[in-house]
Amino acid sequence: MVVPFLNSAIVYASLFAFMALGLTLTYLTTKVPNFAYGSFVTIGIYTAYTMWKVNRINPYNASFVAFLIAAVSAAVMYLAVLRPLANRGSSLVSLMIATFGVDIGFIGIFGIYTDYLRARYVLIDTKSFFQLQADFNLGGVPGLVYVAPTLLALLTLGLYILLTRTKFGVAMRASVENPSLSRILGINVERVYLISWMLAGGFAGLAGSLYTLWLPGGTSTGSDLIVEIFAASILGGLTSIFGAILGGLVIGGSEIVVGTDLTVGFGAFGTGLLAAILLLAGVFLWRNRRRGRARLVGGVSFVLGVYVLLEAISGVALDPLVPGLVNGFGAEAIAYQRAVPLLIMVGALLVLPKGLVSINLRRILRWEERK
Amino acid sequence: MALPQVFVFGVDLVRFGIDFANFYALYFAISLTLNLETGYTGVPNFGKVLYVAGGASVAGSLSGRLAASVYGISTRGDFITFNAQIITQVSNRLASDPIFSVEIVLLSLMIAAVIGAAFGYLSSYPAIRLREDYLGMLLLAVAQFYQIFLRGFGPLVGGTQGIFVPDPYAYFASLGIGVRDLAAAVVISLFAVAVYFYAERVARSPLGRTLRAVRDNEDASRALGKNDSSVRRKVLVIASAMAAMAGALVTFYSGSVGADTWSRFAWTFWPWLIVVIGGAANNLGIALGALCFTALFKGLAQIQLAIPSSYAPSDPNYMVDIAFAALIVVVLLVRPEGILRERPTPTLPRGRLSMIARSATGRSLGGIPTSAVVDTASDRKRILERLRALSRRILRRREAAE
Repeated sequence: MVVPFLNSAIVYASLFAFMALGLTLTYLTTKVPNFAYGSFVTIGIYTAYTMWKVNRINPYNASFVAFLIAAVSAAVMYLAVLRPLANRGSSLVSLMIATFGVDIGFIGIFGIYTDYLRARYVLIDTKSFFQLQADFNLGGVPGLVYVAPTLLALLTLGLYILLTRTKFGVAMRASVENPSLSRILGINVERVYLISWMLAGGFAGLAGSLYTLWLPGGTSTGSDLIVEIFAASILGGLTSIFGAILGGLVIGGSEIVVGTDLTVGFGAFGTGLLAAILLLAGVFLWRNRRRGRARLVGGVSFVLGVYVLLEAISGVALDPLVPGLVNGFGAEAIAYQRAVPLLIMVGALLVLPKGLVSINLRRILRWEERK
Repeated sequence: MALPQVFVFGVDLVRFGIDFANFYALYFAISLTLNLETGYTGVPNFGKVLYVAGGASVAGSLSGRLAASVYGISTRGDFITFNAQIITQVSNRLASDPIFSVEIVLLSLMIAAVIGAAFGYLSSYPAIRLREDYLGMLLLAVAQFYQIFLRGFGPLVGGTQGIFVPDPYAYFASLGIGVRDLAAAVVISLFAVAVYFYAERVARSPLGRTLRAVRDNEDASRALGKNDSSVRRKVLVIASAMAAMAGALVTFYSGSVGADTWSRFAWTFWPWLIVVIGGAANNLGIALGALCFTALFKGLAQIQLAIPSSYAPSDPNYMVDIAFAALIVVVLLVRPEGILRERPTPTLPRGRLSMIARSATGRSLGGIPTSAVVDTASDRKRILERLRALSRRILRRREAAE
């Protein structure tokens, strides 16, 4: 039981890192949260599906094609919708609702495409299908568990080199920081933005293509994933590329770990750990915040922690919740694993609005010494 | 009593009209609440579906249980599993019990309003603190999660399968085909008209001007002593309560409620589309926008019905999706202010204004602002002289230009 869910966590974390990375790239350039971003993932999913079902091409190889198709779609969206609107001086909300509209347009295109596939190639599962049985096995472990993190590591390295060691990367950073000054210096900001969008779409397509190896897909998979993608991006700070990778890893990993724990149970030790976190948060809030409401939250958290701890240790079932945490809520609870990214997102917005990268570890350590 | 039938090109106009009215009134009401938040107060609500679905699911789930317990119908401990039989019995009883039918609608509307208000209050916490883009992402995610919750949590609305809802219009169903839908259209239209008059009253009141001040310049309105957070919170609470009531009316009209109805495209994007087409911060514009949207939507549906399926290679609904996507981009590019742009609202009713103007000059002043109340003869003379000076200056300028 342990290994499959760790595999899942590794794959999920890597895929969400790709997706969050792309969303952050589009946000950095156009300063608009792209609601249609999930559809780029769906493009990747259907590229892989079509190439596997029709041509028997492995999703690993299809991912290159998916990268290209999604990149071109992103470029078209940028050139046809966002750039004209931005040049017209549209407000942020107008741009947001435009991307929302583009998403519904994509859903329509996927619908027509899947109808066409069904009629042309006599496939019955075009609208929603099970994961493709195309992966290789290495030592009893599905290949994606090796490939996804390796690709992510290579990509992170490549991006690092691109952004810090090449002229184009420096131009890209400059255009994000200060577009007008970059224009004065002769940087073609429009081209830089366009390439960023293509990269962003490409990462989504790549992730979508690999996604088909692991989980069932369908026409609405991408727009359902948008919750996790937003959560990962916000956790990463929304303006930091490497923060987005970190956020994706945290969101993807914790969703699987917590989701699995919800179904099979955290065990007495895990529940005790949760209680300890509650206790610590309570003590921290009570001691360090002067405001009444924060202290109240701290107090409630402390009392809850004591309650959960006592119940987990004694094994006396006073309510259904704590025994559920210890022994698991059963298979139905898997539906709620998607609450995890949402909760992390809400928490990040409340506590860390600038994301994980804004944490200054050195300062925290120094603060501890002062105490 | 049977409804008359009027066929034009094979379409029964009466049935079409009833269907049209239901759809129109529903989206008109929801878009008005969105306009109150987005157009007047500047809180972009990208999670509208959350409030509609919240009201609909809770009202739809509770009304059935309530009616069953009032009529003494046994749920055998599992309302969801035996839902079809229970609701059939309830609806049969309701057909001969109009008073309880009205009561159950009113009670459900109240429950929905409370749920919507609670959701609105909770979402006001981020709405006050976050920037538009973060808020949009958060509300969209929360709304999406509510749908996941509805899918996973069986006891509320039975997950994706859904449950039936008692039919308070059951009395009309026995009168003839289509009469039930007509009754529903009347109820939903009354609701929409009430929301319209409320929204219009808010817009013209001092509160409406406060809302726009908060939207346009937070700092200035704060300096004038307006509490912008409290204003935003109140608007969100009230608009969400009304959206939730609309949601409850949807479930009574459609007769069932489930998890899969509540897509963010149908209940967040379409109201946004209406607001963008019609014109933000203009309630009459919303009426026109909803009319355009409904005409387009229902018209395309009729065309779909007319095309034999052998000619349509794909489900034509997808073409409608693409058409709406193109429409919103084109409207934002060509006419972002919508059909009717926002207008300054007069601080007094038009009749009073022209009366004041007449009392000042002896005749209507046309476009001259009448902020100063004038009642003495010397004031009148002064205003007339200023008008004459103004017209002389305009004439002189024109001559100079020529």
